[in-house]
Amino acid sequence: MNFELTEQQKLVRRSVRKFAEEVLAPVAPTFDREAKYNGYIVKELSKVNLFGIQLPEKYGGADLDSISYAITIEEISRICASTGLMLSVHNSVGAYPIYNWGTEEQKERYLPDIATGKKISGFSWTEPNAGSDAQGIECIMVQKGNDFVLNGSKIFVTNGAIGSVILIGTRYKTNDGQNGIATIILEKDMEGYEIGQPEDKMGVRGNITTSLYFNNIRVPKENILGSLNDGFRIAMQTLDVGRIGIAAQALGIAQAAYEHSVEYSKGRIQFKRPISQFQGISFKLAEMSTKIDAARLLIYRAAFMKDTKKRFSKESAMCKYYASKIARQVTQEAIQIHGGYGYMKDLPLERYYRDAKVTEIYEGTSEIMKLIIAQQILRGNL
Amino acid sequence: MLKIFVLIKQVPSLHNLQIDKQTGTLIREGVENIINPDDLYGLELGLSLKEQYGGEITAITMGPPQAEFALRECLSMGVDKSLLITDEQFAYSDTLQTTLVLKETFHKIKDYDIIITGSQTSDSSTGQIPFQLSEALDIPLITDIFTMEIENNIFKCHRNFGHESQNISVELPILIRVRRHFNEPRHISLSGIKRAFEKEIEFNDFNTFNCPEYLDGCNKSPTNVVKTEKIVIKRKNEIIEGNFNEKVQKLLKIMQEHGIERIWTGDMI
Repeated sequence: MNFELTEQQKLVRRSVRKFAEEVLAPVAPTFDREAKYNGYIVKELSKVNLFGIQLPEKYGGADLDSISYAITIEEISRICASTGLMLSVHNSVGAYPIYNWGTEEQKERYLPDIATGKKISGFSWTEPNAGSDAQGIECIMVQKGNDFVLNGSKIFVTNGAIGSVILIGTRYKTNDGQNGIATIILEKDMEGYEIGQPEDKMGVRGNITTSLYFNNIRVPKENILGSLNDGFRIAMQTLDVGRIGIAAQALGIAQAAYEHSVEYSKGRIQFKRPISQFQGISFKLAEMSTKIDAARLLIYRAAFMKDTKKRFSKESAMCKYYASKIARQVTQEAIQIHGGYGYMKDLPLERYYRDAKVTEIYEGTSEIMKLIIAQQILRGNL
Repeated sequence: MLKIFVLIKQVPSLHNLQIDKQTGTLIREGVENIINPDDLYGLELGLSLKEQYGGEITAITMGPPQAEFALRECLSMGVDKSLLITDEQFAYSDTLQTTLVLKETFHKIKDYDIIITGSQTSDSSTGQIPFQLSEALDIPLITDIFTMEIENNIFKCHRNFGHESQNISVELPILIRVRRHFNEPRHISLSGIKRAFEKEIEFNDFNTFNCPEYLDGCNKSPTNVVKTEKIVIKRKNEIIEGNFNEKVQKLLKIMQEHGIERIWTGDMI
């Protein structure tokens, strides 16, 4: 057993950190404040190949391992959680299912543009009446001749505003009376595809979340991912992968809050000494550091298991559950250490706190994570 | 095809730089090592020349075995080949010894058009290598370039220094010393990283060269670093008391005591 990153993974961390500090740090507060995303950043992200982190070179990707992927999302989110979210969703639940379950024709049609960021991708399951109850989706596509006709809507779609290739889950009905759940690929310019107004969110405000409305969209069979009745399984396995990215995003936010706290507590003088010299503060730092380390190791393990082709549903749920929880705790304590300054919008601490909260909600709430972990345990996967 | 060589050095990152109080040298263990910041401008120039005129670009460094990581970074940026010159015999080399090793290296390489260096290293700040190496190889040294073009083996450039500028044209091979902020070094692309670790790095050691007699970093370096000190600048606070005129007079006196001789004392008071 070896806890050292490889030289290649170390270089990934160093390069992405430098990029994030130089390119994203100046714009991250504005993205949050104005809830806008500036298109030129997409070009900058594309230059360093952040849209195809794990895709093979054949499609224009960087072909990196899953730990490198987690490191990348962590380092981006350490500076800008909104960008971290865009990249996590795009790379894991957008690009990955097409690569893993897509036909060669689908791969060649979508992946090269996805790898360069020319097309931003996303994945949407949640509906007004279906959140944690993932089987309760109401979108429906009915077969008409060779194609299907899709109606329904999705809510809280990450990358909703800028995404042009979005995977969704939908019920289906065939001519011969079969029904079930399918995962399909939608494109922004399909007739009947409508993007809703941006949501006004608490955090990750730089990622424009919208609803999507589907009005009689004609979906050709070529847009079905995997086999027709395989949609639910594809979605669940896709989310296993996505959770590593969301956990890494939470970790990056926590890491940023922690670093600020260490720095601030060493410089802030009260009662004639740096507040870091008071146990009340130093113990907080010790707790933060321990929690962050534990989360990081859980994430790397899940990523390692994915790369070594082991089952990792439980481990990915564990890392997502834990990293999002400690991100909320660490960012909260970071504000406490900064006192009134931490509560002001001049410092990024309150942004970290707002950004962290959603990691306990999306791509499966913490409660669903515990359900998955418990199911695995009770099935004998102790 | 242009043969471009960029010289780089791995240096300790300036964050948390510590000096060993016993030996007076920089503590390099446990410190993060980076590519010398000034060398990044050289790498960017090399890469952009390659993109514009075609050719092959090689990064060269002399240093301990861990400098291999700096070369991986260069390869990730888009450099084609890399060479690490490493041998215990070269440890503690001063700039002259380093130049002599580089001279041997380029005599062995033979076929080179453009050698590029940064202006100086952040860990020793001598800035001597480009000047010494161009002398040793007997090729022109071009500094302070502003714009440039290459045509039929002729390098034409516009040099800019302060109030003067100069247009020169010179036959290759040449050595270019790039000044700081000359360009904007590119970020490493993730797709470059995997490729960088798949490439072979060439190693040269003491035995690679034929005339080792004078190559002995430890014993034949004419320069010795006697002492390295951390410069601590402490602000002195002094409150000047008195009425307005007295305060001004006292302030002027203090300024004169600190060597500020020419003070304008017109009708301002």
